[in-house]
Amino acid sequence: MISQLLVNGIIAGSAFALVALGFSLIYKTTGFIHFAHAAIYMLGAYSVYTLVEFLHLPLPMAIFLGILFCAAFGILLEIGIYRPLRYRNGQPLILLIASIGIYVIIQNIISLIFGDDVKTLRYGATSEGWPLFGARITAIQLITILSAFVLFLLTSILVFRTKLGKMLRAVANDHELAGISGITANEVNVFVLAAGSALAAIAAILVSFDVDMTPTMGMNALLMGMVVTVIGGIGSIPGALVGGLLLGFAQQFGVWKIGSEWQDAIAFGILLIFLLFRPYGIFGRKLRKAEV
Amino acid sequence: MDYLLHILILIGIYTILSVSLNLISGYTGLLSVAQAALYGVGAYIAALLALHFHLPFLVGLVCAALGAAVISVIIAAPSLRVHDDYFVLATFAFQVIAFGVMNNWVNFTGGPMGLPGIPQPVIFGITISTHWQFLFLAAILAALAVLLVRCLVRAPFGRVLRAIREDEVFAQSLGKNVIKYKLLVFVIGGALAAVAGALYAHYISFIDPTSFTVQESIFILAIVIVGGSGSIAGSIVGAVALVALPEALRFIGLPSSIAANVRQILYGGALVACMMFRPQGILGEFSFRKLSRS
Repeated sequence: MISQLLVNGIIAGSAFALVALGFSLIYKTTGFIHFAHAAIYMLGAYSVYTLVEFLHLPLPMAIFLGILFCAAFGILLEIGIYRPLRYRNGQPLILLIASIGIYVIIQNIISLIFGDDVKTLRYGATSEGWPLFGARITAIQLITILSAFVLFLLTSILVFRTKLGKMLRAVANDHELAGISGITANEVNVFVLAAGSALAAIAAILVSFDVDMTPTMGMNALLMGMVVTVIGGIGSIPGALVGGLLLGFAQQFGVWKIGSEWQDAIAFGILLIFLLFRPYGIFGRKLRKAEV
Repeated sequence: MDYLLHILILIGIYTILSVSLNLISGYTGLLSVAQAALYGVGAYIAALLALHFHLPFLVGLVCAALGAAVISVIIAAPSLRVHDDYFVLATFAFQVIAFGVMNNWVNFTGGPMGLPGIPQPVIFGITISTHWQFLFLAAILAALAVLLVRCLVRAPFGRVLRAIREDEVFAQSLGKNVIKYKLLVFVIGGALAAVAGALYAHYISFIDPTSFTVQESIFILAIVIVGGSGSIAGSIVGAVALVALPEALRFIGLPSSIAANVRQILYGGALVACMMFRPQGILGEFSFRKLSRS
């Protein structure tokens, strides 16, 4: 029982961590809460569903195209909406409100096209899974965990070991100063939106293979991603991983002890505790009031 | 005719909600997405009191406002410790938790089944039953709410709110107790939202948690922003525009199954367009543009 809860916690946590990683990268670099991340997450799952179901593409190709589509969509949002907004007034709350609007639009378009009922990417018989330390785990769940760890490794290397990563950190730290040194925030923002959106799409595709998809899946995933981001510390890559796993465990044990219908309330209870006592998260740095 | 009156009553309810949120977000600059939670708290308190204790409408209304004021303090106390983005997240968290409570505390709130059979309000022996009477009631309550907020923001109290919105640290340096003002604004805004909730519960006579979701909060916020942050007339115009205009969709022959989605797409689009071309809204004076102090 306990070992199954732990395994389930790691599975759920890996998916949360992936959403949080993309969200956190975008938040840290561009400085606003990218609410439309939820919409892009949804687009990831539904685009693969469309490609497989209606265009009958082979699955690997559909997955690849789905991820590419989401990355392109992220770039489109950045160039078409966020960049003009930044030129006009540039305040994070304005970008947040606009991205809420974008989320509402896309969610409803998906509802219109696909309906509100549950869709799935699971094909063939449901596998029972392999035994693992007294728990059971299916192939797709194993793939979810592995791809989460690989993607975290790749993102860490990218951010801390490459020139692009250095530029990214410079813009996140102070985009004006970065501009003076010849690093254009625009290029970095385009890259970050593309990478963050691709990560969201991957998480969404993995989740829809394991569970199901609905037009509100993005909102739920984003809620968890936000909680994880705050728990781990905004912009912290190890923070997103640790926060994701922590939330995964907390939810599984909460479901066991209290009941599955309180999942969201548990997650947000944890968020509130962190906002109150450690708003900069586990790995974050404390800010003075003047910096906020 | 009843249909037209129904729309007007809804406009009245949303006017109360939007001026209450305008006080919090437009005048004080606190972008809250928990207003639907307080709206729901008011609706549930009024409904439960009417169903179980058969209290008269006005008593229920006052109890709903007081109850929501208490919940507002509970929401505001921790949320006001953090700023900007984090404040949005904190109110978001409370909104989700409030929905969880309404949806899951089945013995008390009826859970997803909701609370049916809320009686029609009786005021001084008169039963409010027809659409005309409800419209009259909604209009009076909306007018009172508008008047209250108008008095507040025109008084020196309102000047302090605007000062906090424009530059909090500066307001503090002039000896204003910023936390006290923010808390007061949150409580007044919450109590007003509860009045709208009580009215809604008695009018529709059935409530369930789906009326008080995050989406509803965003819708109220959209009214405030599109109408104009920091403008009472703007909130009224916003309520009329966002409640009534989508109803026009019915007349161009959209089936009701897709009308709900199209309605939401329209107000999502209005939010984006507003941020792009007129961030202060139709009649507003404030655009969530803070002096950056980084």
